[in-house]
Amino acid sequence: MIPDHTQPRLADGVRLEIDGTTGKGVLLFPEGIIELNETAQEIVTRCDGRPLSEIVLGLAREYDADLEMLAADVRETLADLQRRKLVKLA
Amino acid sequence: MNAPRPYALLAEITYRCPLHCPYCSNPTRMRNNGELTTGEWGRVIREAAGLGVLQIGFSGGEPLARRDLAELIHGAREARLYTNLITSGVGLDANRARELRDAGLDSVQLSFQSDHVDLADEIAGANAHQRKLDAAANIRAAGIPLSLNFVIHRRNIDRLPQIIELTETLGAVRVELANVQFYGWAFLNRAALLPTREQVARAREVANAAKTRLTGKIDIFYVLPDYYETRPKPCLNGWGQRYLTVNPLGDVLPCPTASSAIPNLRFENVRERPLDWIWRESESFNRFRGTEWMPEPCRSCPQKEIDFGGCRCQAALLTGNAANTDPVCTLSPNRAQVDAVLRDLDQSSGHTREWTPRVNPRKAAIRPNA
Ligand code: SF4
Repeated sequence: MIPDHTQPRLADGVRLEIDGTTGKGVLLFPEGIIELNETAQEIVTRCDGRPLSEIVLGLAREYDADLEMLAADVRETLADLQRRKLVKLA
Repeated sequence: MNAPRPYALLAEITYRCPLHCPYCSNPTRMRNNGELTTGEWGRVIREAAGLGVLQIGFSGGEPLARRDLAELIHGAREARLYTNLITSGVGLDANRARELRDAGLDSVQLSFQSDHVDLADEIAGANAHQRKLDAAANIRAAGIPLSLNFVIHRRNIDRLPQIIELTETLGAVRVELANVQFYGWAFLNRAALLPTREQVARAREVANAAKTRLTGKIDIFYVLPDYYETRPKPCLNGWGQRYLTVNPLGDVLPCPTASSAIPNLRFENVRERPLDWIWRESESFNRFRGTEWMPEPCRSCPQKEIDFGGCRCQAALLTGNAANTDPVCTLSPNRAQVDAVLRDLDQSSGHTREWTPRVNPRKAAIRPNA
């Protein structure tokens, strides 16, 4: 399991943008584009070096959601993005 | 017809290049109406972003030959595009690398001819290999993510293990090992470039083993030579669906090779029309959009939404009609054309043949029959 103190960041060469056509968040990287769903976008926006625990707390406050379920969602999303080498966990 | 939104623009900003590769993507015959200016490119980039484009690749020729490259990159970043430089690396010293990074360059794709200096320089027709190695170091020192591209063909395909080793040494995050596709100069040089069946089989094993070994470290993309396939590549994900190319003279193309391969299609120019109109309304972009234009056997084939009938340029080059099914497809009535090329190669057992290096337009003009 990804530990609480992990500080997720976008991998080198990956950028988060808002797609002007759809209004949705997209990750841009060499030769590739991935459209993010709303949750993923909220998570990725916070991948700026703050620890995982803080990302979860921030989201919980904003969305008034269950902390444990939220933490599991965040971990799952980050693990997926790490597998695709779009996010690095350190 | 309803036009989809494009995602990526290939900006071929110049035909100039210090190298002479026998598979060069420059046209084999050139017009010269003058390259688009900095201001014109700025407008094209903004119009592309307005159409929905999210990524831009600066290519050529050799894009570093343009002194305003940093300015163009800056303009693309202002338009919020992801910027990629596709380069031979010749001319990319430490200062230039930093200049481009500061302008907002997101990533670099550096091309190599081979892993070994002698063969690499022979293919490039110039002393370039060492300069590319230096360029790779400069790119990394500037902190820009590095991808490599090797065009694979008969003369270097057996060196795939060493080529992959070089990729590891240079610290690249991604490598394309792309068997040469036969358009333009490569089409002229096909007999010298097409690898043999045995070479292709060995190379595939090497590439697959490396993919497994380097998972999580380097992304390896191995592109087969499509003559050996039985179904065509889904060229561009369909004509006029996701990609557009603007060439140095401002012609807007559904794919970079279209203007040489399909001479009877008229392509529009950004000096005469807005990009939006060209993408949505022009005859050239609509001609092969969707599936309505398809002849048999594609028309009634369940694969037609998967491979889109293959490549229009290949159909034009091999059958004389861009609307035909890509003759790589074994269902095509013209597949015999491709088989004949492969049979010739088998019979000559892959002997080394001469190739024609790309000549610069000025030289070509002095010696028109060269
Ligand atoms: S017939 Fe056309 S659609 Fe069917 S597999 Fe061949 S190229 Fe693709």
